Amino acid sequence: MKNRWSFKITPVRVVLMGLGALGLALMAYRLAFGLGSSTNLSDQWPWGMWIGFDVLTGVALAGGGYSTCLLVQVLGIKKFTPIARSAMLTSLIGYLLVMGGLFMDIGRWFNFWRPFVSWGYHSVLFEVFWCVSLYTTIQLLEFGEIATEKVMKPWHGLVKKVLPVLFIIGIVLPTLHQSSLGSLYVIEVGKLYPLWWSMLLPVFFLMSSFFVGPAMVTVESALAGRAHGHRPDYSVLQSLIKVSGYLMLVYLGLKIYDLYSRGVMDLVFRGNLEGNMFLLEMAAGVIIPLIICFTPGWRSTRAGVLSFSVLVVAGVIINRMNVVFTGMSGYMGGSYFPSWIEWGVSLGLLAIGVLGYLFVVENFNILPHGNKAEESINAPSGERGYRLSPSGKAY
Amino acid sequence: MVPKGVLVDITKCVGCGSCTVACKLWNNLKYDGTPADGKDAALGAESWTAVKWVEAPKDGETVWRFVKNQCLHCHQPACASACFSKAIKKTADGPVVYDEKLCVGCRYCMLACPFNIPKYEWDKSFPRVRKCQMCAGRIAKGETPACVGVCPAGALTFGEYNELAGLAAERIQKGGYINHIYGEKEAGGASWLYISDVPFKDLGFRTDVTTRPLPEYSESILKLTPAVGLGWGAVLTGIYVYNRRRNEIAREEGEKNKK
Amino acid sequence: MEDHLKLEKEVTRRSFLKMMGGLGLSGLALTLAGCENNTAVNAGGDGWLPQQYQIAGTWPAQVRGRVPIEASNPSIVRDDQKCVLCGQCLEICRNTQTVYGHYGFPLINDIVCINCGQCSLWCPTGAIAERDDTEKVLQALQDPDKYVVVQTAPATRVALGEEFGLPPGSWVMGQQVAALRRLGFKQVFDTNFTADLTIMEEATELIKRVKGELKKPLPQFTSCSPGWVKFCEYFYPDLFPNMSSCKSPQQMMGALVKTYFAKTKNIDPEKIYSVAIMPCTAKKFEAQRPEMNDSGHYWKKQSLQDVDAVLTTRELARLLKRKGIDLNSLPEESYDPLLGKSTGGAIIFGATGGVMEAAVRTAYFFITQQEPPAQLLSLTPVRGLSGVKEAAVDIPGVGTVRVAICHGMGNGRQVLEAVRRGEAPWHFVEFMSCPGGCQSGGGQPRTSVPPSDEVRQKRMASLYSADVRMEWRESHENSEVLALYQNFLGHPMSELAEELLHTDYVDRGKSFKQLASEELPDKV
Repeated sequence: MKNRWSFKITPVRVVLMGLGALGLALMAYRLAFGLGSSTNLSDQWPWGMWIGFDVLTGVALAGGGYSTCLLVQVLGIKKFTPIARSAMLTSLIGYLLVMGGLFMDIGRWFNFWRPFVSWGYHSVLFEVFWCVSLYTTIQLLEFGEIATEKVMKPWHGLVKKVLPVLFIIGIVLPTLHQSSLGSLYVIEVGKLYPLWWSMLLPVFFLMSSFFVGPAMVTVESALAGRAHGHRPDYSVLQSLIKVSGYLMLVYLGLKIYDLYSRGVMDLVFRGNLEGNMFLLEMAAGVIIPLIICFTPGWRSTRAGVLSFSVLVVAGVIINRMNVVFTGMSGYMGGSYFPSWIEWGVSLGLLAIGVLGYLFVVENFNILPHGNKAEESINAPSGERGYRLSPSGKAY
Repeated sequence: MVPKGVLVDITKCVGCGSCTVACKLWNNLKYDGTPADGKDAALGAESWTAVKWVEAPKDGETVWRFVKNQCLHCHQPACASACFSKAIKKTADGPVVYDEKLCVGCRYCMLACPFNIPKYEWDKSFPRVRKCQMCAGRIAKGETPACVGVCPAGALTFGEYNELAGLAAERIQKGGYINHIYGEKEAGGASWLYISDVPFKDLGFRTDVTTRPLPEYSESILKLTPAVGLGWGAVLTGIYVYNRRRNEIAREEGEKNKK
Repeated sequence: MEDHLKLEKEVTRRSFLKMMGGLGLSGLALTLAGCENNTAVNAGGDGWLPQQYQIAGTWPAQVRGRVPIEASNPSIVRDDQKCVLCGQCLEICRNTQTVYGHYGFPLINDIVCINCGQCSLWCPTGAIAERDDTEKVLQALQDPDKYVVVQTAPATRVALGEEFGLPPGSWVMGQQVAALRRLGFKQVFDTNFTADLTIMEEATELIKRVKGELKKPLPQFTSCSPGWVKFCEYFYPDLFPNMSSCKSPQQMMGALVKTYFAKTKNIDPEKIYSVAIMPCTAKKFEAQRPEMNDSGHYWKKQSLQDVDAVLTTRELARLLKRKGIDLNSLPEESYDPLLGKSTGGAIIFGATGGVMEAAVRTAYFFITQQEPPAQLLSLTPVRGLSGVKEAAVDIPGVGTVRVAICHGMGNGRQVLEAVRRGEAPWHFVEFMSCPGGCQSGGGQPRTSVPPSDEVRQKRMASLYSADVRMEWRESHENSEVLALYQNFLGHPMSELAEELLHTDYVDRGKSFKQLASEELPDKV
């Protein structure tokens, strides 16, 4: 290789870099001057966009990594192998962004390391904190397999040897913290609207993070495909979505059981904000995708696969937003809308993530049939896809 | 240490706000414009206690009542259970205290508190969580919390928790009160108890709080963590080993067939 | 971390006191007494420090809380930032005025306050102060559409000077008039005028009661102290029939300014803005009482309130200083005519016993149609600072008239309890809310903390010596008062006089749970 590292500069990437730079500047401002001067958070709304979107939703959408890993590496379903690396990469970048968002959100950031030493083990957040940081480390090590193909090659053999252990820990940890993110809101008993509050919250969060994985992989393959000028293998994605579909059936059934058993079914059709948002979440994010998924004529089309995926991703985003905002607003009162700095930091993090993804894809063997010659032709239009993507937030 | 507590007798409060001033003095809190008494009284980062003027219905007329708000110092505090760095602790004396050195600033305690007590120093670069500490230092020295010490109306009684609960029941039995000791069962019980002659709901108290200690909710799930983690890990390892073995066998057989 | 960034700390009076207290007794003595090892309890000399700060060690050692003050209290406000919880307000309110602690629990729908403002004199840090209405008055003065008139109470003229460096009791009546003119008031009237008028009405009422023409019980109670009136409304509403129906001089003046004066001078009463300079915070409350709008009734304009704003002596001083007016450099000027003349009887309204003495002078004249004898012009038993004073005056024709005087509501309670028990031998009782009467009212300049009898006596002496200097000593001699009756009211207690100069009372006894006398705190 003449040129070890490459990174194409296109207009869209310049825009992303601009956003990223602005984001970094805003982050520096926030770290220096505190949350009050940079966010619209208040005593009524102690958690806002950074926790609700960047962290809670981000972790869920990055769930594609562990679900694909489970399917490919453990269950050994070989046909999903082509997407495994890219799913893993988006998950890794997603988690790094989550860590970034979390770091922005903690008020006394110089103390971020405290829970490693001062163990508040009775806190759900403690589990989330440990799992997320460990899992990010694990993912970095997993990425070592790809990285050592290009740099520090002598280590490649060693990394390959420990990979199975990493894979298994790398599935156990997300299982724990994906569910724990739901458990975070179990203590909101009486505060979180009963449509969402349930002792099963951890189960719902875990299941949704799992079934959103394939959807997320699909969306991102489609986008990456356009960016890098190759057609994703829709037959693989189709079977992948079917996995989601079955899980979503269980999810839907469990939700209905949960609502019935707690006697809050009537709240769904009350016509209030909470009821309507719940209906939206379930209809758009679960029921319509299920119809698409189990109508063979629809699932087999590219449009069917894509619309399923987009809807499921949107559904999970709405679900997390509902838990964090809609479901809490009745109790919290007051109002919260993110400040422009909150938006700026979130967008900046996203831009940095996309740039990181592009850089890695360009320099490491991630995508199947990567073809750099085609990329230069298609890149601009493809990246527009990234920019406009409503669901590309998390990675 | 015998756990201590405070009994607030709403029927005796005259709304003078002495307690709010004592709190500011003792804790060196600033005056940031948050009203400490009156209709709009509210807790804040610099207002750990506030006496709210409430108009409540009683026997067909509207009566004035003054409600002192502050941390209730739950027996099993949700905030302490939510804190992942042990910055909030329940002491043996009763106070639920905060240690800023350990605090990461995640604000999960604010979200967890069923009474919305903890407040945050939003304006600071390195904000602290702020709430009533029940003058833990004074209690340790055998003194009363500052607010209790200055109450001229006898609305606040400091003492051993068990005796206070008895005192509250005694007063209720004598008549003139509703039969509800707020804080006795709410959120699993708290070191601060209230008695009143009008229903607590009408005084702005949250009466739909669960009587189960809040930490139990999350801890009932958390305790499954090791089992789930280890079990799931074992299952995954099993499947992984099984699949690898099967692949190896398949490969060997393939090689055999080739031969 | 944040704390290290902000090393400089704001030094407030309170934090300073706290710091000093932290040094302990000896430290305090060393600091304030110039290294002298002074172990006297009152370390630091004559200055006052909240006691709790002088005790080394833990804090708060002796804080005692404070009285409740409703945010909408029209008379007094409190600044929490200055409060040291020393309990001085409780001391005066509970033990001297017998208000705090004298109502039962649970509360019903009032924070019981008689608006006397004594707590503002006792408060060592100035946390409790009068509600400042100077801005309201300044705005009215600047409004070209408003015709702003002012009246000054008897007692402000012996105290205002203290705010300008003069010794207590300095007589600044003329300078005060001049100062008010400099501020832009169109007419400066004298509340003493309506004090004389009050005597005319009240003495007439008393004689009617004594003669049985008025079916109301004896003793008759004076009604010119709004703090006392509210106290009676709270704690002794059953004794309303004993209360004289006369308004206070302030409210009589208010009603007359917008009727008699407006009519005489042909001024639109709606354009008149009527200000009162008072030694009293309760007057602010009184002026706001909804029934105090008789000029509105007279003109059939509901929006008219008889008195629009009340400034205490302290507020007037503040206003003058703000406008750069130095009282000492002003010439003596006279009140404006029509409602500006007064007698010695009116002047002594400012001291405890003064109303009674003035009433006796005029009652004597009304009954006998003769000038009172000399000893009635210096009725020593009703003068001075004893809590409850009694006198018996022989008036030819009716025999011995027994009177009582009390000031400070704790003393008032003793008299009121006697009346309740039916053991009251008196015909007429003077009540003054504030200890010492108006000259020591809650709106007067702060002197020592707590207020001293020494200052009270000086102010009273000044009033009594002014009485002696007056051309007329008896209220019925006031030529402008006589003209008022001749030209407008007709005669005392005429129908128009009843409409404008008399009032009735609001039963506030149900706004809290009354305590039986055995439930009251020990001091009563």
